[in-house]
Amino acid sequence: MIFNTLSYYLFFLIPSAALYRLAPGRLRPWIIVIFGSGFFLYFAYGMAGFWGAACLLIFLWESLVSRLYRPSSRWCLLGILQSVLLLGIFKYWNFLTGLLFAHDANPMRWQGEFLPLGISFFTFEFYHYAWDRRAGKTEAGTLGEYLAFILFFPTMVAGPIKRFEDFLPKLRARPIGWSQDWERGITRILVGLVKKMSVADLLTAWTNHLNSHDILLADRRILPLWGLAYGIKIYADFSGYSDIAIGSARLFGIRVPENFNWPYGRRNIQRFWQCWHISLTRWLIDYVYIPLGGSRVSSPRIYANIITVMLISGLWHGAGINFIVWGVWHGLLLAGHRFWRQLRGDPSIHPVPVFLSRVLTFVLVNAAWPFFCMDLHSAILFYRRLLIG
Amino acid sequence: MLATFRATLEYLGGERDDVPQFLAGRFGQLARCAVWALAILLIYAFCGQSSKFIYIDF
Repeated sequence: MIFNTLSYYLFFLIPSAALYRLAPGRLRPWIIVIFGSGFFLYFAYGMAGFWGAACLLIFLWESLVSRLYRPSSRWCLLGILQSVLLLGIFKYWNFLTGLLFAHDANPMRWQGEFLPLGISFFTFEFYHYAWDRRAGKTEAGTLGEYLAFILFFPTMVAGPIKRFEDFLPKLRARPIGWSQDWERGITRILVGLVKKMSVADLLTAWTNHLNSHDILLADRRILPLWGLAYGIKIYADFSGYSDIAIGSARLFGIRVPENFNWPYGRRNIQRFWQCWHISLTRWLIDYVYIPLGGSRVSSPRIYANIITVMLISGLWHGAGINFIVWGVWHGLLLAGHRFWRQLRGDPSIHPVPVFLSRVLTFVLVNAAWPFFCMDLHSAILFYRRLLIG
Repeated sequence: MLATFRATLEYLGGERDDVPQFLAGRFGQLARCAVWALAILLIYAFCGQSSKFIYIDF
């Protein structure tokens, strides 16, 4: 729950943001650290008990190791490796060992599996810092500043994924314009809550039917509506979440990156991804696509890079074959779009093709959601019933 | 016209700071109050059924 609980606002956001604005400069990072730690302990304990809360040690360990990072240093590689390893163990252990053995007969299965709160997101921030320190792109900051960066609770759980070099100047600057920041921030939070409660949660009545049992019993004509409902729900849910995160950060006087820019209705899949989960797309471009060679390699390699990046994006969203299919689907769409652009040159500006391409992009994006929200078996059943009957 | 509509929505939603010209002054303040009132009303109306955010499980 978190952002839609009263305790988030009463115990964490309002007191910490007010204290942050009143405190002298050297204390401000530590206010974030104290409240961020309290936030993590409180909500992680609620979700995964003692061991969930104990994962706060991951942040403390990472912050200590980060003090060893220097440009071209091997410690940075170790930092990258440990962050990926932690994510691999917590998120993918049962999935990967399950590929080796039959699901029920997996002797390596981790029975008490749990996911530390926000691990997929804070891993990317750890990775980014280690990578950029190695490349000499970002300064080290003090221990307090780095802890404030990773424990900044408005963005800790589900982004937007921040960059240290963007965050640091805002942390060091004295927050001004209290009234405007709070008016804009509270407005943003209210809008996010409306998106979540009156759109996303309302659609749950339809999206709850996206399971094998209901798909088998349903009239096939209703299936596209259920799929569409999920497409609208996930947009309202995640953009609502991002609104609350961005609005919460604004109460501190800190602006964090935007995550959405009207993605539905974009005229091609590339534009869609530039406007959907923007902070993730940028992270994947900077830390996966470009290191793979980006667009400076041969044509077949570029297509392979695009599909690889989207496969990683799919796998990052969840440990399951269905997420891989979802990622590859988008990879193929992006590769297909690139091929089409090379073949046909600049896109038409005539209103009819523009409109048709917007509709086609919307349909193709929404057609992939069943693989995102259901296991592979159910998603295939969905399409079998939809197309064959 | 579509751009103005979008800028207005983004301003009223708290996403942008620059006020669209026709919302400057008293009318803009009223519009912002109306957005808050409507938002609080909708949150109050629907808060009983709220569930976990999807991306928290990622």
